[in-house]
Amino acid sequence: MNPVNPAAPGSPAAPGSPAGSATRAGSATRAGSATPAAPALAVRGLSVAYGDMVAVHDATFSIAAGEACAITGPNGNGKSSLLMGIAGLIRRRGRVEIFGAVAPSGDVRWAARHGLTLVPERRQLYPGLSALDNIMLGCYCWTSSLRRARNSRPFGTAIDLFPELKGQLRQQAGTLSGGQQQMVAIMRGLASDPKILAVDEPCLGLAEAVARRVYAALAEIHEAGTTLIVVEEAPKRALTICNRRVEVRNGVVLDTP
Amino acid sequence: MKLGNLIIAGLTTGSIYAVFAVCVSVWYRVSNILNLAVGDFAMAGALGVDNLYRVKSWPLPAAIAATLAVVIVFAYLYDLVVLRLAQDGPRRQEGIVITFFFTFALSFFIDGVAKILFGTDVHAAPALWNGGSLTVASSLHIERAGVLVLACALIIGSAFWLYIRYTLGGKAMEACGENPLGARIAGIDTRRYRRHIFVGTAVIAAVFGIVESPITGFTYLSGATISLTGFIAAAYGGFRKPGRALLAGLAIGILEALLGGYVSAEYGDTVLYAILAALVLGWPRAMGFESAVSG
Amino acid sequence: MKALRSTGLVVVAGVVVVLVFGQQYAGSVFVLAVCYAIVTAGMAVQLGFSQQIVFSQCVFMGAGAYGVALLNTHFSMPSLLATPVVMVGCGVAALLLGSVVTRASGLALAVATLMLPLIATGYVSSAGYLGGSVGAPLTGNLWNGSSTESVAIGNGLITVAFLAVAVFVAVRILSSDIGLELYALGADERTAAAMGIRTPRRKLELFVLGSVFAAVGGAAYAGTQLFVPATLVDPTAELALLIMLFVGGRRSVLGAVVGAVVIQYLYGASSWVSVNILIIEGILLTVVLLVDPEGLAGILASLLRRLGASTHATPATGVPATTPVVVAIPRAIPSAPFDPPTPSTPADPDHTLLTCAGLGKEYGGLTVLDDVTLALPARGLFGLCGPNGAGKSTLLNIIGGSVAPSRGRVLLDGADVTRLPPQLRFGLGVSRTFQTVHLIRDRSVLDNVAVACLTSHRSSIVSRIARSALAQARASAADTLDRLGMAAMSGRDVSSLTLESQRMVELARAIAARPRLLLLDEPASGLSEQQRHRLGELLREFGDMTCVLLVEHDLDLVAQVSQRIFVLAGGRLVFDAGPAEFRVSPLVNSLLIGEFAPRRPLGG
Repeated sequence: MNPVNPAAPGSPAAPGSPAGSATRAGSATRAGSATPAAPALAVRGLSVAYGDMVAVHDATFSIAAGEACAITGPNGNGKSSLLMGIAGLIRRRGRVEIFGAVAPSGDVRWAARHGLTLVPERRQLYPGLSALDNIMLGCYCWTSSLRRARNSRPFGTAIDLFPELKGQLRQQAGTLSGGQQQMVAIMRGLASDPKILAVDEPCLGLAEAVARRVYAALAEIHEAGTTLIVVEEAPKRALTICNRRVEVRNGVVLDTP
Repeated sequence: MKLGNLIIAGLTTGSIYAVFAVCVSVWYRVSNILNLAVGDFAMAGALGVDNLYRVKSWPLPAAIAATLAVVIVFAYLYDLVVLRLAQDGPRRQEGIVITFFFTFALSFFIDGVAKILFGTDVHAAPALWNGGSLTVASSLHIERAGVLVLACALIIGSAFWLYIRYTLGGKAMEACGENPLGARIAGIDTRRYRRHIFVGTAVIAAVFGIVESPITGFTYLSGATISLTGFIAAAYGGFRKPGRALLAGLAIGILEALLGGYVSAEYGDTVLYAILAALVLGWPRAMGFESAVSG
Repeated sequence: MKALRSTGLVVVAGVVVVLVFGQQYAGSVFVLAVCYAIVTAGMAVQLGFSQQIVFSQCVFMGAGAYGVALLNTHFSMPSLLATPVVMVGCGVAALLLGSVVTRASGLALAVATLMLPLIATGYVSSAGYLGGSVGAPLTGNLWNGSSTESVAIGNGLITVAFLAVAVFVAVRILSSDIGLELYALGADERTAAAMGIRTPRRKLELFVLGSVFAAVGGAAYAGTQLFVPATLVDPTAELALLIMLFVGGRRSVLGAVVGAVVIQYLYGASSWVSVNILIIEGILLTVVLLVDPEGLAGILASLLRRLGASTHATPATGVPATTPVVVAIPRAIPSAPFDPPTPSTPADPDHTLLTCAGLGKEYGGLTVLDDVTLALPARGLFGLCGPNGAGKSTLLNIIGGSVAPSRGRVLLDGADVTRLPPQLRFGLGVSRTFQTVHLIRDRSVLDNVAVACLTSHRSSIVSRIARSALAQARASAADTLDRLGMAAMSGRDVSSLTLESQRMVELARAIAARPRLLLLDEPASGLSEQQRHRLGELLREFGDMTCVLLVEHDLDLVAQVSQRIFVLAGGRLVFDAGPAEFRVSPLVNSLLIGEFAPRRPLGG
């Protein structure tokens, strides 16, 4: 009842990428192991409703570790609600497992503390705080010490993701441009050292050049071994880095490999 | 030296305004609610200690501990029941109603309870540091309670500043007010933060009321005036910046003292308010006002 | 008619109570409550409905009361005659004071007006001729009857008459087209200005209205209580008024009246209540607001709605109407053929409509715009692109009037409009949308679009007591929605729509104004491929009729629909040519597409 859908062994995550993915540890394990490892994310019978309006109806699918999955579908059909339900930010019915551990419904912090970090639609940064503070707060889910956060590896990796922003990090996040804010939001997500990074509509309102830059960074993150989930209305761009696709129409998940 | 003494008196009352302004400002930053009952918590602290110590003859430390315990429990329950329903319940409320009126109603409630428990006379908690006024530099006088007040204000102000600037928890607290949804996504428990800050500011207000009540007596109605001045000082600090609220409180205190001393004791306050109004109308941005409040 | 209904209710209830209870205790409390109700009715209009956070009503109530007391005591003027005198006097004072105070908005306005009761208290307590901190007695009743009974009844009837007039005026204004202006003003002052509403004037009118109502209430107070306590101008008096307003219902005139009555009766209900009044008020206000932020009026309205729904909606089969259904979200841009409304004067493509000459803008030390010069004819669709931070929104704001340039001029039809505020530019035919949606929540789509069709901008607030043109504005809006194929959603509450639908409503609102210059700020953001396609067609149609300036990130869309494209980079205009050149220009490519070279080449 719960189809585990491993990616076809050896399928490249980023077509045309010179590094190639056949050498990634994840796919090698998948290709070689006799029993499939616990999927990174397993969703069973997930439903999200706003009052009487059902946004997501009985969604069932799973994503294996190291995959990059695109969630596509027309706007307003439930993609974001699906993601928010998985992350525990809104009430849901159904079962969500992250690396085998069952997520309790209604606990907002559980997902963040168990490896699933969401970079939400429209970024949801803290406009009055500096970009640096925004990113540092990504570490909140695994530490309460400012010093440890600042010196940690995830924080360092996050800052290095978009080196072109280094000069603007002390600026108030609200004064940055849309593209820069998106970058900060992704850095904040990365600072939480996630095993699964879910990005909702990363290119909303961004100029073409910036969108490409963002996608390059997402590809980088995926290369490093993080499982990636990207929600996009237009599949064309997402499929440049994703090898797996889940389509959502009218709140119903159509799982397409 | 008249000017010096006036300034010291102004700093003392200014510190009182400043601390309440900081409480209002910090709480607003986290929750987008203005705590208009902050003065009433102060009054409850002062009158509670006075009642237990003087009327029921409890030892002073016990009186203080008991009063603060009651304040903590009450503030916690209020946030748990009322504010949670108002902010996170099925009928979420936003805008002017929740910003002002819930704590407004709370202040009425506290005043009413105080009237029943403590009567209508003026009282004050006993001075924590006994003795006459200190003399500095041969002509500057300062009450001992005034010293305590100033010290408390500085400690509280610096503590908040350090917390916000140099701890992750402090930044998380700010994030709650900046973007509650974004905070929850980062794994911050916004409700818990808000509750802790609400209780925290209530306790700080109560403590401060105890400390400063020897200077100004309290009646069950004094809370309203203090809340008002706290609100005004916080407004001039832009509501979101506790540091500026602190300075605004001090400035208003000093200005009040100077006007009272040099212009006239009778009309000093009136002139003060006229000046404050003129400042707001003439230079709103310089005074820290954003152009519009939502809702 | 709503106003007559409300007024009739007040008159009937008031007369009955006065006649039945006469000079008994219940009757005298009622009369006192009515005095306060006159004040809170005005507050419902100013504070509740139009969201002007003003805390000075108690001062004007005091002014009215003291005025009558002085005129009565020193000039032997009967209180009834003194009332209109005081009304006019306070009106003038409010006009002068308001013109200073209403320059501020929001919290600044609140703090400034909060000073007024404080100043007034200080003044009154030291003013001997006003009775100092005690108060001023007077002997003149509103109704000088022969017996105490007739005096009580006469006073009561006159006060009820005052209230009836106040309620009539208030409800007429709120249900007129100016009422829609006021609601929009309360929701978002800046958007209201962009839609042509003369915000400074309305704010001043509201201030005067609230103050005059308060003065009449104060005059009635003096003439019935025969004593003006100094605490009438206290901040605590203002707080009491606020409680009455919020318990009753801040946006409802009748609610405000009910609130005053409820609270006043509460004050005098029993000695136990009197002693514990603070606690009771605190709990009452908290509970009422938790149940419904619109107070008792809101609670009553919900009850009525639920009663109405349950009597109408029992389906024949007995199956409950609310089974959860997987809803197909309606597509934002409908598929019916459309036909956008034409601007009132036909557009001549050779006529230069808009000229921007050497525009420059600095914020602090940062140069956002530098020597931008462009010209647009009266017809056509033009694109404005640029990397983020290049100044596109600033340029749009300068053309729209919400931001003043540091240098340069904006000419509309050859006339210099550089310093003209947005509401007046709206009157000249400039209409715009915003990047973030700014619709009026809890109002229907129809009303939101109707804001742009209002013809009342130049009329004064009192002119609507006689005649309201709201129906015409709504008809205009319905017509636009019809032509755009959006008639089906016209009755829906705006807050229940998806973001894309809300964007369409904003677009409909901008178009409904029949503009000569339409400024669109990223209208395609968040729309799907299909929706963008439809939007493009719509824009092209409209470009055939009027002048459209489109700020967009979707380069394909811009190249498809625009006849000329401007590109801003670093605050400067670096490209100004047609779409063919746009597609091949190396400058454009490097700016907008290749600016951030990806770390490794991406496929697709």
